[in-house]
Amino acid sequence: MRIAGRRPDFWTVVTGVVLLVLAILLLIPILRVMLLSFVDADTGNWTLGNYVEVFTRNFYLRGLKNTLFVGVLGTIGACLVGIPLAFFTARFHLWGRVWISTLAILVLVAPPFIGAYAWIMMLGSNGFITNFFERFGIETPTIYGAHGIILVFTLKFFPFVFLMTQTALMAVNKSFEDAAENLGCTPWQRFTKITLPLVFPAISTGAIICFVLSIADFGTPAILGRGFRTLSTIAFAAYRSELGGLPTIAVTVSMIMIAISMLALVVQRRILARRRYASSLTNLPVKKRLAGWKNVAVHVFCHGAVLIAMLPNLVVVYTSFLKTNGPVFVGGFGLESYERMWRQAPMAVGNSFLFALSAVALITIFSALISYVIVRRETKASGSIDFLMMVPYLVPGVVMAIGFVTTFRTGVFGGIGAAWLLILLYFIRRLPYGVRSTTSSLRQVKPSMEEAAINLGAPPLSAFLKVTVPLILPGLIVGSLMSFITAINELSGTLIIYDSGTLTMPVSIYLAVLDGEFGLAAALSTVLLLCTGVCVYAVFRFSENRDSAFL
Amino acid sequence: MASVDIIGIRKLYGDVVALSDINISIASGAFYTLLGPSGCGKTTLLRTIAGFHEQNAGTIAVDGKAIEGLPAYRRDVGMVFQDYAIFPHISVRDNVAFGLKQRKIPRAEMEQRVAEVLDVVQLGQFADRMPHELSGGQQQRVGLARAIVIRPKVLLMDEPLSNLDARLRVDLRAELRRIQQELGITTIYVTHDQEEALAMSDTVCVMHQGVIQQAANPLDIYLHPANRFVATFVGANNFLAVTRQGDGLYLASAGGVVANGGLAADGRPLVCGVRPEVVRVVPGSVPPGDEEVAIPASLASVSFIGREMEVLVRTEADEVVKSFARPDPAVIALQPGSAVTLLVHRSDLAFFEDSETGRRAT
Ligand SMILES: Nc1ncnc2c1ncn2[C@@H]1O[C@H](COP(=O)(O)OP(=O)(O)OP(=O)(O)O)[C@@H](O)[C@H]1O
Ligand SMILES: [Mg+2]
Repeated sequence: MRIAGRRPDFWTVVTGVVLLVLAILLLIPILRVMLLSFVDADTGNWTLGNYVEVFTRNFYLRGLKNTLFVGVLGTIGACLVGIPLAFFTARFHLWGRVWISTLAILVLVAPPFIGAYAWIMMLGSNGFITNFFERFGIETPTIYGAHGIILVFTLKFFPFVFLMTQTALMAVNKSFEDAAENLGCTPWQRFTKITLPLVFPAISTGAIICFVLSIADFGTPAILGRGFRTLSTIAFAAYRSELGGLPTIAVTVSMIMIAISMLALVVQRRILARRRYASSLTNLPVKKRLAGWKNVAVHVFCHGAVLIAMLPNLVVVYTSFLKTNGPVFVGGFGLESYERMWRQAPMAVGNSFLFALSAVALITIFSALISYVIVRRETKASGSIDFLMMVPYLVPGVVMAIGFVTTFRTGVFGGIGAAWLLILLYFIRRLPYGVRSTTSSLRQVKPSMEEAAINLGAPPLSAFLKVTVPLILPGLIVGSLMSFITAINELSGTLIIYDSGTLTMPVSIYLAVLDGEFGLAAALSTVLLLCTGVCVYAVFRFSENRDSAFL
Repeated sequence: MASVDIIGIRKLYGDVVALSDINISIASGAFYTLLGPSGCGKTTLLRTIAGFHEQNAGTIAVDGKAIEGLPAYRRDVGMVFQDYAIFPHISVRDNVAFGLKQRKIPRAEMEQRVAEVLDVVQLGQFADRMPHELSGGQQQRVGLARAIVIRPKVLLMDEPLSNLDARLRVDLRAELRRIQQELGITTIYVTHDQEEALAMSDTVCVMHQGVIQQAANPLDIYLHPANRFVATFVGANNFLAVTRQGDGLYLASAGGVVANGGLAADGRPLVCGVRPEVVRVVPGSVPPGDEEVAIPASLASVSFIGREMEVLVRTEADEVVKSFARPDPAVIALQPGSAVTLLVHRSDLAFFEDSETGRRAT
């Protein structure tokens, strides 16, 4: 019998490797962005000048104001649609409830920038709704500018509020509401005084996600802004104009975006810390049957909301089958757009799949390992990995990509090509989706399973592969599908990194939209939507709770 | 088959001392039971032996060879888990074969050994079922088969019967013991069920707050508890206050010397322990026989529970004493408050130092 001695065990090594990877791909780029924001672009000396510039020039201040404006109003809009929708579906018998939540989920995972340009096709200066009303001499409001962005944010992000609030509402012990009623509350008082406060933590979580996502969103203001600039378009433009030199202004703006997201998160943590309502589910809520005009109104609202939100995606699919001649729609149906896609953008389609699948392969391996470290090892290191998994949510794509470029295009890492940078960018940005899903799966596996395998003579890795992995497979698959959807739809970070050989579908769509090539954009978007739809279907198949798998 | 020596094991969780200076020596082929209340460190000790965590001090030797340098997967100690830990994604046969595959046992031998062990635990016809198609008791047997098929040097079992209903527990306990004796495998068994411990073991080791209180054969544990904790935890016990006059010991509740000489000579505060089944309750006032102590008391309650009656009385020193005895119509007919006499044989009295784990005084 050989004595093994005190060499570090397998999971200690894994923890070390994971920390190293996270340090290189996550911490260093963010630190690099932070440091660069204190550097003078011309002299290379330390300075506060960049912040002084950003906080004194009207251009940037307006950008900050605009960002907060559309972020806050978009979030409020999302709540105004999402909360009633959640309440209606959770408390009333609705015809087509599954349909409603399926549409909401599709809206949630559809590529974010499609919404913006589809609305241009409907309500833009040459949009078909605009043209339709013009025939009767009616002028429709323009979609460009702040209100267009807020409309798109509202319709794009309300599913977060909807799904989270719905889950919470389903878990509210009915006894609380019964007690309130028994104490003399009218239904409305009962809703505002009891139910709403009880689900407030869920609402606030959904709202914070909306807010953070709208701050980070690049595609929507870039496509709909027309002179209305937000921090992400400013950071992108600054990066483009500083190419060749140090992108100090771009990173300074980026730092402000990170700061806003972190602030939002801190606020939400403070709110949640003081409200924790444990509730035993002895008395499940019941659904009421509505009648008469109320019933009609509720149905119209619920189906209307998800249909309008889905509209951009339908329009895009429809448009892709319109007959075109070059960029012009010539009436009737045809497959010219797909033909052009085949001729002009085969590389983009190939790249998108190659990069996303490579990233997802890495994500699958790492989320399995990371979730084990987080769930099974109670060390400081595993605690910090758990914490680090939140960071990618808070760092906008533009910012992360600028960090990547400034870190990995210089010095030791100089030789890394754009393709690898993109794969690693998708990997680090979408890793948390995989880890979250796998972690919740692993929490349901008893530790004694692995211990039994080890006790029977399986070394840690072998016990993990033969026992743990098969048991967490559903969670691992769902996580990988989620990260695939979000990786193949990535636009903002890709725009910073891509070069002529690494075009992806979202970038091609963005460029086509800027060129007015709506047919080509629609064909590419349809392909993306199709992938997304297939993945959503697969997630439904593999997850126990279909609605919450997407949050 | 192997002997196990545990020397000076200490285990801390942060500041909590889970095990302090555990010394155990187990003969080859013995059935050794760790018995103690919840949180006393039984599981901790078992997991330390299995190698799932490291001790802060001490060594564990199997057949004289220290094993603490070995990782858990090379220790060759089989373990049966409290929650069975049957792998749900593979069949019964594959569960049992798991450890053999790890050991790269040739296919033919593996199949034969799996079939043999499934016969031993009487699960032959269930080999191709999936775990969720088995009852709790059957899953428990799979857990046992899986642990013994690798022919481990030592078998560890952590409350393997605690998730089963009472009937099955009694059946399985006899079967476990039979299989253990057939294979002659050194076994360390954890339970907090004293009946189980007494019925199955060669040696019972009573633990309390991470410290071994007594390790002895079941009869000694019961008849000669080494300290007051063991006397309380194993079987029921009454404790009576003791007073000292001159060189004699007296019960606070009765006249007459109960002990003298050495016991009375040193000044330690003592209490007297009496098992309920040696206390005889008789109506009225009765003089003691030779070698007997008579304690006057008043009846508190009588409950007749079939095989025996349980009588609670209150002594003149205001102590509540319990008695288990053959049902006696004369006693059952008594009203609460009636005068009774407790008769106890002098040799059935045991004396302990007056603290939770006070040693037995002789
Ligand atoms: N992972 C841990 N971290 C901190 N303390 C622990 C841990 N595991 C056990 N303890 C503590 O160590 C002591 C012994 O625990 P152990 O699980 O060994 O008890 P046990 O005798 O098996 O009890 P039971 O009969 O309830 O299973 C307890 O006080 C327990 O709270
Ligand atoms: Mg235990």
